[in-house]
Amino acid sequence: MIEIIQYGIYTSIQDMGRFNYQSYGVPVSGAQDQQAYRIANQILNNSLTSAVLEFTIKGPKIRFHQNTFIALTGAKMKAKLNGVEVDYYVPIKVNEGSILEMGIIQNGCRTYLAVCGGIKTEKILESRSQFKGVTINDRIFKKTLLPIDNPIFNPSKGARMISPSQDYSQIELEVYTGPEFYKLSKIEKENLFSTLFTISNFNNRMAVRLKEKFKNEMSEIWTAPVIPGIVQCTSDGSLIILMRDAQVTGGYPRILQLNNSSLNLLSQKNTEDKIRFKLLSRID
Amino acid sequence: MSRRIFRTVPLHNKAFLVEWKQKPSDKLLEIILSFKSAIDKDAKVSRTVMGYQSLLIHMKEEIQNMSLWNEYLNELQIKIQPKIIDKGKIWKIPVCYDNIFAPDLIPLAKSLKIEVEELIQIHSKTKYRVYFIGFLPGFLYLNGLDKRLHFPRKKNPQLKVPKGAIGIGGRQTGVYPNESPGGWHLIGKTPISLFDAKQKKPCFASPGDWVSFEPIDKRKYYELKRKIQKDNFKMLPNQ
Repeated sequence: MIEIIQYGIYTSIQDMGRFNYQSYGVPVSGAQDQQAYRIANQILNNSLTSAVLEFTIKGPKIRFHQNTFIALTGAKMKAKLNGVEVDYYVPIKVNEGSILEMGIIQNGCRTYLAVCGGIKTEKILESRSQFKGVTINDRIFKKTLLPIDNPIFNPSKGARMISPSQDYSQIELEVYTGPEFYKLSKIEKENLFSTLFTISNFNNRMAVRLKEKFKNEMSEIWTAPVIPGIVQCTSDGSLIILMRDAQVTGGYPRILQLNNSSLNLLSQKNTEDKIRFKLLSRID
Repeated sequence: MSRRIFRTVPLHNKAFLVEWKQKPSDKLLEIILSFKSAIDKDAKVSRTVMGYQSLLIHMKEEIQNMSLWNEYLNELQIKIQPKIIDKGKIWKIPVCYDNIFAPDLIPLAKSLKIEVEELIQIHSKTKYRVYFIGFLPGFLYLNGLDKRLHFPRKKNPQLKVPKGAIGIGGRQTGVYPNESPGGWHLIGKTPISLFDAKQKKPCFASPGDWVSFEPIDKRKYYELKRKIQKDNFKMLPNQ
């Protein structure tokens, strides 16, 4: 068991996501930064679908009720185990009774904590990812005990990860054209790729809204399927980038589609950060 | 060869859309359902999601060759266009239109210039077609709201619409499967759960099915509510 003593700003249980239920209206969910999530599990030789904790901006305070190993990845928050600062991207041995205290974000937005064998809350519709209406809550709100697996990890034999560069300052998001892109005029297209956009304070696990208005003449569409990474454009010119908890259908024109690595990068951006869209050509 | 009535749009290297040009209708719904049932059987396909005019196809592996898919879809169009495949099940959803569950019923009737009883009768007598599920887990997009009940949604959406509330907004009517914000006019409430995450098939209704609303009184509402809480109730389709 691990005990969440203080829950931080927004802490939730996440895994790869819930894939087979979009036709029932269920979002995919899962870790926002899938790369940091995957590496956290790899460091501990966990299964690639093991559940982890996702911290946002400020992490929680956690007490461990059993011996285990942990790994921290993603955005850097100061992390202290029993008062001693610990590293990211390495396995860390944790003894029963230890306390891990996370600080405030220094770069990026989201940090991942994997435990040996993964967090073992009940799977609902094939996933442990928290989403309100599917699981009871969408995050951890109060003192909570979470079941974890027994450690079978042996660090002397475990694979060492080379810490990947954590440069979240890159402003370019790589995109493909979306289904309604063709409806934009030449000037609108030029504006879309030349404008330096700012992330507004409306950004969460469902969507990221950009501050600058994008003038356009498009009308709404018949409600159609959408996926994480789609850039929607409202009639008043708001650009909304859909994230992992996004609805499965939408009625706004879909002008762009982020690729996976850009979706991971965007999940590490904060309010007031700048971004620019960079068009990729399709392989087909 | 017959003229192609759809386009394909790649989203990323493991997903693409098939989008039809024609306006949503029962005929288009049946075409999309036929495509879906054929495509769902393909070993390369992981899952599909429907919209009014479209079908989203997620692949298990990266798409190597889009032109092969285009050819396959052209052949599919020729094969399945003429026949009506799925007539759909019929579901009767019990709804209590009593004022305690219907805060907007009287003002909406006034705005529509009809009697409350007439509004209830029109709303509950119509057979609605389930076009697809989206917006929220278990939210059914229903087609067929009588023109006399069309009314613009509220200017300021309500922050909390209760689970089970029945609403009218624009040309649509539907059931809120869970507590959520919403801008529809609330005219009743059902004790039935439209979404149950504990079931392998979490919604009883599927695209292509029919739904109608069966008026019940408060006593029946609470009786059903108790049965559902005790797990003593299962929705079954009508014959």
